[in-house]
Amino acid sequence: MNMQVSNNKAFHLIIAGLITLLSSCQKDFYVYQIDDQTILPVNSQKIKPKSVAQYISILYTNFFQKAISPNSMLSAQKAIESIGDKQVAFDILLSKYMNDPNVILPTKEEMLNNPEAFIRATYKRFLVREPTEAELNWMLNYIKSRPNVTPEHFYFAFGTCNEHFHY
Amino acid sequence: MKRRKFLKDSALAAGSITVPYILPSGLLFAQQSPLKAKHVVFVQFAGGLRQQESVLQRYLAGSQNEQVEGNIMYNLLDGPPPTDKIAYGTDDVSNNIVGAFPINPILQTPLQKLGVLFPEVRFSKGGAGHFNGLSTGVSGNYYVTSGLRQRTASPTIFEYLRKHAGFKATDCWSVANSLTGSRSLLNYSAHEKYGRRYAGNFIAPTVTFGAPGKEHFMNFKNYHPDTDYEMFREIRGFLNQNFTNEGLEIPHLYNTPEEENNIREFVRQTFEKVKEGRISAPPVSDNGDLITLGYTVELIRWFKPRLTIVDLSNIDVCHGDFTAYLKNIHRADHGIAFLWKEIQSIPEMKDDTIMIVMPEHGRDEDHNSIKDLNDWYSYDHSGSPNARRIFTLMVGPGVDANLKRGSEQNPVGDAADIVPTIADIFGIKETVYNAGLLDSAARSLFDRI
Repeated sequence: MNMQVSNNKAFHLIIAGLITLLSSCQKDFYVYQIDDQTILPVNSQKIKPKSVAQYISILYTNFFQKAISPNSMLSAQKAIESIGDKQVAFDILLSKYMNDPNVILPTKEEMLNNPEAFIRATYKRFLVREPTEAELNWMLNYIKSRPNVTPEHFYFAFGTCNEHFHY
Repeated sequence: MKRRKFLKDSALAAGSITVPYILPSGLLFAQQSPLKAKHVVFVQFAGGLRQQESVLQRYLAGSQNEQVEGNIMYNLLDGPPPTDKIAYGTDDVSNNIVGAFPINPILQTPLQKLGVLFPEVRFSKGGAGHFNGLSTGVSGNYYVTSGLRQRTASPTIFEYLRKHAGFKATDCWSVANSLTGSRSLLNYSAHEKYGRRYAGNFIAPTVTFGAPGKEHFMNFKNYHPDTDYEMFREIRGFLNQNFTNEGLEIPHLYNTPEEENNIREFVRQTFEKVKEGRISAPPVSDNGDLITLGYTVELIRWFKPRLTIVDLSNIDVCHGDFTAYLKNIHRADHGIAFLWKEIQSIPEMKDDTIMIVMPEHGRDEDHNSIKDLNDWYSYDHSGSPNARRIFTLMVGPGVDANLKRGSEQNPVGDAADIVPTIADIFGIKETVYNAGLLDSAARSLFDRI
């Protein structure tokens, strides 16, 4: 009799232990998913055009490393407004700057000694960002494949590109 | 087959053989009627011109208690000049007499005798303001509420011609005598189906080649178009390709690279002429209108545009100086005659250019309280009936000579007529009408004849 009671107790203890063990150690399963994300270009935040005054001011500063005077700014705005095609007007304005002995440009040697540093610095100066890998590679290849290209060509193109006109 | 037959029939019906071609807009262009001329020059005789001092040839009569009549626009209009109280010419400096010497006529025959004069045209709607008037002239519509700094809501004639007739950007020029009064906005509209994509080029030459341009443009570096610019465009093209936010670009006018090179070269060469004092100018060039017309001659010699629209403004001094107003009317007449004469010296444009002259609006019949050095009253433009009276003069190949249409009792013509008239000259009148964006009163002047 005592033996039977003891066996029953043991059986119940085993069952209870198993239940406790199984319930307390149940493994959680997590399902990971990826939300849809819109991948935007690095320059996608630039959605506002600069005013002509802002554009000239920044352009002048980038090429002369100093601020344009208020009178000169006013006069430059009028000159730009007097030509309808602003790409043509900006090209002429920058060509005028390029003929100024005080314009500050890197030398071709500086560009060729460290093309990557030149490209990165040019992106930062004009577009206020780092180039993407694809952009960097394209620019480096361009320098390699065009022996006649100079920093002036890059500065001109960066100074008059669409991204430089927006913020 | 049906489409081909339609095109064939259309060409035959128009009495001309034209080859249809695809426009930049992607549409098929088939000229609807024969070209009346290859070139058009439209002069907006702007600043507010009263009928009394122009087609009515009243001079001082009725306005200043001086019963002196006469024609001070004898290059444009037919009629004898005043014989007394001469104050509209050049100054007699030695005797300190303002406007004492009338300017010699440039044309042997007044343009009125060579073309059609509509002496009583109406600026029929909207406010009689300069920008409103100029906007109506270029767009064929009226703007009741539009203010300065707003492009026209309806397309300009430049846009119609570029979209529907395949004109290049440098075929179309808007030339302004200054940047005041939003004149730089007259080369394209805010219309969503037209706009900057089909704009005409714009220039304000007294600014481009005046002090601002001398400081910021003159002696600009002469990059080679085929080497330097090729690299600029390659690098810039790559950068622009990576900046693809829709519609965000420098507001260019879709000139081709060749056209851009040509405009830059025009600016460079014109500066060389400025430096050497070789800019074309009328014999008397003592105000901004005359200087602008001189630069306009330089521009049309260079580009031979299909359409040139030039606006004047110096007669607006009438708000406070009637004597200066008379002088500037006389000078505008002188300058327009010079322009016409110079057009006839350009082989590609000679005998193939129609010129249209129209004030943008008139001025009041009643004077204000301001008197000038001659004790003559001044006149404003408030939208009174007199400020809505204007004239239109048209001259050139295919235009009837010595013809007058309309009178004060029977006005013929509307300020909105110029756009359908130019469209008519270039064979796209029906397309422009069908766009449905003209004022209801607008009609080709050829149909009014």
